[in-house]
Amino acid sequence: MNHSVDWVQLIVVVLIFVAVTVMGFMASRWRAAASMDSLDEWGLGGRGFGTFITWFLLGGDLYTAYTFIAVPAAMYATGAVTGFFAVPYTIVVYPLIFVFMARLWSVSHRHGYVTPADFVRGRYGSRWLSLAVALTGILATMPYIALQLVGMQAVFETMGLGGDNLLAKDLPLLIAFAVLAAYTYSSGLRAPAMIAFVKDGLIYLVIGVAIIYLPHALGGWEAIFGAAEKKLTTTNPATGKPVGSFIPGVTGHSAYWTLALGSALALFMYPHSVTAVLSTKSRNVVRRNAAILPAYSLLLGLLALLGFMAIKANVNITGLDGLPNPQLAIPRLFDQEFPSWFAGIAFAAIAVGALVPAAIMSIAAANLFTRNIYKEFLKKEATPAQEAKVSKLASLLVKFGALVFVLGMDKTISLNLQLLGGIWILQTFPAIVVGLFTQWFHKWALLAGWAVAMVYGTIEAYNVVNPATKKHFGGSVTNIPFTDTQVYIGLVAFGLNLVIVIALTLVFRALKVASGVDTTHPSDYTADRGDPGVHDLPELLDEGGPAPAKS
Amino acid sequence: MSRLSAVKPAYWIAGVLLAVTVLAPLIVSTYSKAEPRLWGFPFFYWYQLLWVVLSVFTVGIAYKLVMGEERKRRAAQGLGDPDKPAKGAQQ
Repeated sequence: MNHSVDWVQLIVVVLIFVAVTVMGFMASRWRAAASMDSLDEWGLGGRGFGTFITWFLLGGDLYTAYTFIAVPAAMYATGAVTGFFAVPYTIVVYPLIFVFMARLWSVSHRHGYVTPADFVRGRYGSRWLSLAVALTGILATMPYIALQLVGMQAVFETMGLGGDNLLAKDLPLLIAFAVLAAYTYSSGLRAPAMIAFVKDGLIYLVIGVAIIYLPHALGGWEAIFGAAEKKLTTTNPATGKPVGSFIPGVTGHSAYWTLALGSALALFMYPHSVTAVLSTKSRNVVRRNAAILPAYSLLLGLLALLGFMAIKANVNITGLDGLPNPQLAIPRLFDQEFPSWFAGIAFAAIAVGALVPAAIMSIAAANLFTRNIYKEFLKKEATPAQEAKVSKLASLLVKFGALVFVLGMDKTISLNLQLLGGIWILQTFPAIVVGLFTQWFHKWALLAGWAVAMVYGTIEAYNVVNPATKKHFGGSVTNIPFTDTQVYIGLVAFGLNLVIVIALTLVFRALKVASGVDTTHPSDYTADRGDPGVHDLPELLDEGGPAPAKS
Repeated sequence: MSRLSAVKPAYWIAGVLLAVTVLAPLIVSTYSKAEPRLWGFPFFYWYQLLWVVLSVFTVGIAYKLVMGEERKRRAAQGLGDPDKPAKGAQQ
């Protein structure tokens, strides 16, 4: 591996990056609203996104740069169970959201909810339950933002950027993030919505070319799968077990499907997913998108197979620090197999791909802080303009925090926390999703179930020790208590959560413990745009973005 | 009459389509094998990618069915078409 800068790649990446930056700032004038000073405008793009924009926005939001690096990296390192489960995961998620997300849209638009915690507050009348949901959202989102930076770092490292001193090494990342922070601050949700077009266009182009060209260059699919099977079924001398799984054996089945199902249930609990859904203009945009977003899942599935191509191509994954890093597999594969200018386009796609979700995530976390902590506990009489201001500052803070995290700490900490984040966020499912259909669950039961599941999930994840490195947080599967069946920790914690919630609800109801006041009405859950009492949410994500549908 | 039998056929069919789309990819034992291969892809890999494509159709049909019922419900309640709001311009 050479350590010199590849100038052609660098120039292509810089050009695309500059173009995207200009777009990011111009986005504030895109479908501009009269005033940007509310959360609906800044934080939700004026809530006027239709099917087409939403497809790009959600695609850019859910299928992040980190996903594009991490999934093939997992395929490269350990194969199907840890990597390819992303395919059933992203199939299963859409029928699920088809069922419940339209209801969240309706109730949010009737009551002006900007965050999932807002809904919980209104449905259960409990500020503490709402706080639990908000804190979980912020905690789960922060490491996710940090990982977007890790994805960018892998690309910069492959391009040969990074000197010996700390500043030179991290300068590209600092610049990219400063620019991102600036246009998110000024344009809000409209910026990532607009950049998502570029990001997704580039990603489709790169994957399209990679999927057609690379198998040809590497001797065909037969050879690629053959090389992967050979590597993954080799016995690891440290553990006496195979390195990975090529096709999961019977013992791998439960891990595979629980990872897929647990991740699918968790995905739309993330605040950034909810933010993107609430920014749509009518109730059924998200359902229509449930039918067309699988295009991205197909992309992800093909992309996962690039991990196998990296095996066949024998890419060098030794990092600048001299240690092997599977996250470099895909950037190095592009670097090795593509001409410089096209590798540059691919790298730009990944780098820009990191900006879109990072922007939306920081906006979503900021909205949670503003609505459910600042307004609820610190300043009850905050005006919409004050909310927008606090949110903008919070989004800066969130990004800065993520940056400090990535630069200051070992990146395995980000990885561990992101793994935990998935387990944590799933524990808000009973309050949010079940709450969309019934208010039967008792608020204190929900809080207790959440608390126990959070602690249980964290301890279980800590106790997973990587057999090769002996480090904690070695993976996200564990044995079901008293059995040898391997399952996703998040889903076990979720099961425990549900059992506690149901049992305690029965107890509290029997003891006639007061439940919260439900401020929603059954008709709120099916309301649509244009109905009485349904307002565009001026407070969601952007401040400079599309006009509210009814301005 | 039970309450279940009052559910409209469109909702039944949509529900079944969605349920199948959730369950089929999760029953790993039905596809964790290498044969038959397709264009060099082991069965395990191409079958799951095929389900991605199938899900577009199952969810798409469910959408059509549910929207048909939703339109009827909204018309019965005298509510407007959300995609063509009477007042206020679409952007």
